Amino acid sequence: MVKEKTEIFGKKERALISDPLDGNNPITVQVLGICSALAVTTLLAKAVVMAVAVTLVVALSNFFTSLLRNAIPSQVRMIVQLIIIAFLVTVVELGLKAVNYPIYKELSVFIGLIITNCIVMGRLEAFAMANTPWKSFLDGIGNGLGYGLILVIIAFFRELLGKGTLFNYKIIGKTSEFLIDTTNSTLFGWYEPNNLMVLFPSAMFVIGIIVWVHRSWNKDLVDVS
Amino acid sequence: MIELLNIFIKSAFIENMALAYFLGMCSYLAVSKSVKTAFGLGLAVIFVLGITIPINWLINEYLLKETGMFGIDLTFLRFILFIAVIASMVQLVEMVVEKASPSLYNSLGIFLPLITVNCAILGGSLFMISKEYNFAQSFAFGIGSGFGWFLAIIAIAAIREKIRYSDVPAPLRGLGIAFLITGLMGMAFMGLMGIDPASITGH
Amino acid sequence: MRSNNYVIMFVLVMTTIVALVLSGMSTGLKDIHEKNAAVFNKRSILSSISDHISQDLNSMSDDDVLELFDTKIEQIAIDAKGNAVTGVKAEKIKLSDEFKKPEAERVAPLFIYTDDKGEKYNIFSVRGKGLWDAIWGCVAVNADLNTVAGVAFDHLAETPGLGAEIKDNPGFGKQFIGKKLFEGSKYTSVAVVKGGVKDPAHQVDAISGATITSIGVSDMMIKGMSFYKPYFEKHKK
Repeated sequence: MVKEKTEIFGKKERALISDPLDGNNPITVQVLGICSALAVTTLLAKAVVMAVAVTLVVALSNFFTSLLRNAIPSQVRMIVQLIIIAFLVTVVELGLKAVNYPIYKELSVFIGLIITNCIVMGRLEAFAMANTPWKSFLDGIGNGLGYGLILVIIAFFRELLGKGTLFNYKIIGKTSEFLIDTTNSTLFGWYEPNNLMVLFPSAMFVIGIIVWVHRSWNKDLVDVS
Repeated sequence: MIELLNIFIKSAFIENMALAYFLGMCSYLAVSKSVKTAFGLGLAVIFVLGITIPINWLINEYLLKETGMFGIDLTFLRFILFIAVIASMVQLVEMVVEKASPSLYNSLGIFLPLITVNCAILGGSLFMISKEYNFAQSFAFGIGSGFGWFLAIIAIAAIREKIRYSDVPAPLRGLGIAFLITGLMGMAFMGLMGIDPASITGH
Repeated sequence: MRSNNYVIMFVLVMTTIVALVLSGMSTGLKDIHEKNAAVFNKRSILSSISDHISQDLNSMSDDDVLELFDTKIEQIAIDAKGNAVTGVKAEKIKLSDEFKKPEAERVAPLFIYTDDKGEKYNIFSVRGKGLWDAIWGCVAVNADLNTVAGVAFDHLAETPGLGAEIKDNPGFGKQFIGKKLFEGSKYTSVAVVKGGVKDPAHQVDAISGATITSIGVSDMMIKGMSFYKPYFEKHKK
């Protein structure tokens, strides 16, 4: 019997984190967790908070589920997993409410919707039920980051093109408060913030384009069917 | 009665779960490859939403609120109880479908249990609270948003069946084009945004 | 497959642990949550008169906000006839709950702020509907109970860059300053209109691309403020 090496941070462990960033990205490849990707990406700040919250929940729920994986009775597997997730999400909600109340108000129901973010459930089923706690934890971090990366990219384009701001810092717009004032600029005189970008459909277009770019670059992912 | 109809129309068309709030996207994208399975899943979603929202309303009103049975504020248990109700209702639907139509059961496969983690279901319950509906209103809201989601998934499935015969650029095939189509459908639904059905029916 | 007893025990033990931890956390953080909510509300009430506060509201610490609110603001709860109601604290009134009652039984808050020069400002609360969900706001009126001294609006889920501009764009709120609620003795309030202001004393410009939200604000200013009409009539000089 070949004894499996138990490195803390070996090659395998690093792959657990790096894979979801590209070839196994939860949003663009596994098609999980789209809902919240759309709703919270109107502003970059919201997207970052959401990314952190999801990463925490995926990593910790992966960890706890993996700890309990041999004790969980198979008949009620789903419910037990959901209780773990709902518990962690409530913890995140209570924590956020204490730490940053305005952001908590802004995200409102979408914090609760982390429970039904398919990434969390998907990783529990696909990974945590069959792997050790430490590996599951890393897998959770990786998937959370992969998800957060796409979220931040989408929010970057939507906030910049829709409102002309980034993290509410004024970048490009029609008054002198903006970093690039387009009223008298010869270079950016054509620019007009596009209101469509802050509306929901634009998130779909941005994700569609990200998928397009990602798959032209990583040809293995092209859908052959 | 007219008021309930207004809520139904509003939640089905104007504030469509899938195309205005973009909730329930995972199963929406994954199960929309054929109209037949989309139809089955859509019906299941209507049923689950129509049942869970009123049940969760009762739980919220009589168990969790400070004015409820225990007289203490238990809203921190909201997520756990809501998801437990949803999970058990989905289990129920699963058993019914398995008995009634084994072929549908097989074609829905993994996605039936995944209704539990369909954001539209939990989202419906959470919106019901933030919109402060009463019992009858929340029932109309549940059925309405389920119906809206049903329409949306049937529409995208039909479009995706047709688009198979089109020459889509290879990297866009499948997922990419589905995103773009959904975006366009969302824009179409935006045309309905802000319409108040009450101003049409006169109530 | 495990035995049924094991399943039941497992679920019971687990839910008990989860419920205990959560209730512990929720009670432990309750004070912080309540304080945060109070600071959030008081900040938004004060932001309607931010021009008349000596400090910069955004850079004030939470404790300073609470202290300023407690020392400089007098709270009155007002009923539909314009009389003060005893036994109700204005800051505890939830307009969303009040709107479920028939209009005659409603109670609405009034905050009276006295600035460093002894000038008094009356801050009224209003609530209405935007495009997606509820919108609400505070309207500050000078001691003459006619001239608007400032407004602050907020919303639950309006679109950022469009409807959300009622909160995010200071220029929108600034338009209200100096507008009149009355024309002579007739109540007109301030309307939000599209396509250019025709009556500079009673109209402000809508937000382009956010028609429904603008109509919602207009409704709050006219119908929402009309709840306080009996109060205006009693106290107006």
